[in-house]
Amino acid sequence: MNRHPSRSASLHRTAAFALAAAFLMVPANFVPILHSELAGDVRTDTIWTGIVELYAKGLWPLAAIVFIASLVIPLFKLAGLGVLLLSVHHGAAPSHLRPLTRLYAFLDAIGRWSMLDVFLVAFLAGVVRFGAPAQVTPLPGIVAFALVVTLTILATRAFDPRLLWTPVTAPHPSTQGSG
Amino acid sequence: MNTLPKPRISRRPTIPLVWVVPLFALIVGAWMLINEYRNHGPEIVIDFEDGSGIAVGKTRLVHKGVSVGIVRGAELKPDLSGVSVRVRLDRSAAPLAAEGAQFWVVQPEISFGAVRGLDTILTGARINVTPGRGAPARHFTGLEHPPLPRGRDGSRSFILSADRLGSINPGSPVFYREVKVGLVESSRLSDDSTSVLIRFRIEAPYVALVRTNTRFWNAGGFAFKIGLFGAELKNTSLESLVSGGIAFATPDTLPLASPAPENTQFELSREADKDWLTWSPRIPLNSPEQSAKDTKAPTLAPLLPAAGKNE
Repeated sequence: MNRHPSRSASLHRTAAFALAAAFLMVPANFVPILHSELAGDVRTDTIWTGIVELYAKGLWPLAAIVFIASLVIPLFKLAGLGVLLLSVHHGAAPSHLRPLTRLYAFLDAIGRWSMLDVFLVAFLAGVVRFGAPAQVTPLPGIVAFALVVTLTILATRAFDPRLLWTPVTAPHPSTQGSG
Repeated sequence: MNTLPKPRISRRPTIPLVWVVPLFALIVGAWMLINEYRNHGPEIVIDFEDGSGIAVGKTRLVHKGVSVGIVRGAELKPDLSGVSVRVRLDRSAAPLAAEGAQFWVVQPEISFGAVRGLDTILTGARINVTPGRGAPARHFTGLEHPPLPRGRDGSRSFILSADRLGSINPGSPVFYREVKVGLVESSRLSDDSTSVLIRFRIEAPYVALVRTNTRFWNAGGFAFKIGLFGAELKNTSLESLVSGGIAFATPDTLPLASPAPENTQFELSREADKDWLTWSPRIPLNSPEQSAKDTKAPTLAPLLPAAGKNE
């Protein structure tokens, strides 16, 4: 794997950031992100309990948005990065090259949208400060979550999509793929 | 000419510096998780007859004004006779889950004699607890009403029998010379239903005031009498006017009658005889450890001449 220093560095950085993001997924989802006291409604929410609460209150479109932005996208990004890394490592079948490149472009594009939760918490904590009756306090979980999102963005950025194509010249049985 | 230094070729591929990022993430993540779950104490179950006001994930368990746990679940009991509330304690509060712990739900209460739990209008109900002292336990039965303030060590309870209850409630004060020295704890009909039995507790420094020949009368409300020799208005303090109360006096015979033992039963008169109000025995308040540090009035009270209209 050390044939091209730049190739090696890119893969190492992508893998390292992705792994770090995967580690932080655990506290991001199990440590509360938000403590809110609104009109006597005192609660401490993790991402999941927040989604459940939104759904229970009948705000299911909002619940769906948060669910997709906060759970599906980060997990999808990690899985996608894993696929890209494995493809480079093992050499991708030429027929897969175009979908893999599309996957990379997609991961790059959706990265920032997972920050929705972080913005929501930051916004609420900044705006809702009325002392006793209404107070929103961010909790450590949101930091872990923001780190997950940031790390997946860094991992995507560190990945060089051209690496997908280099093995095509390497010993591979079929070279006349759909391209 | 010098030749170029020989290149050193390291055989071992070095690990890129970037791998400290996942290492760091692992440490931070683990620390956050440990920090989160380290605070968790045991989960206990409290049975209540009524679960109104209790909300899962919201209602807190409070001791001395500080949140020490949170309700994690509330289910009907299988026989539908009440609700089982599951409470997760904070780690620091784990020792209070011991036999003898008392739990009750605090809701806003505005009654004639008391205003309580006003903060719960905004925050929702909470569960208060007084810690137990026995063996650790996980299953408790909640009280339907707040317990009365627990008597300090050395306090003593007595029983009064009255022909009617009047305005006396649990929590009504007991006065000696209009100084509040105790509380009514409970009341019930006697077994043969011919009288009302009232149980009250005298706080530690004042226990010696109650002698075997002490007389008690109902100090609640006020009475207005018009007789041949004019009108007379009887009332004691504003507090007893509102919430009912009991007053007592001890005859100043010499020697004093012996102190009344726990659970002595006395009669409760409708009102005081004139001469009861003139009794003024010298009774040293027998609580060296208590009276010295947290009460100042009682040490002076028996020495001062009885004040005011009682004379």
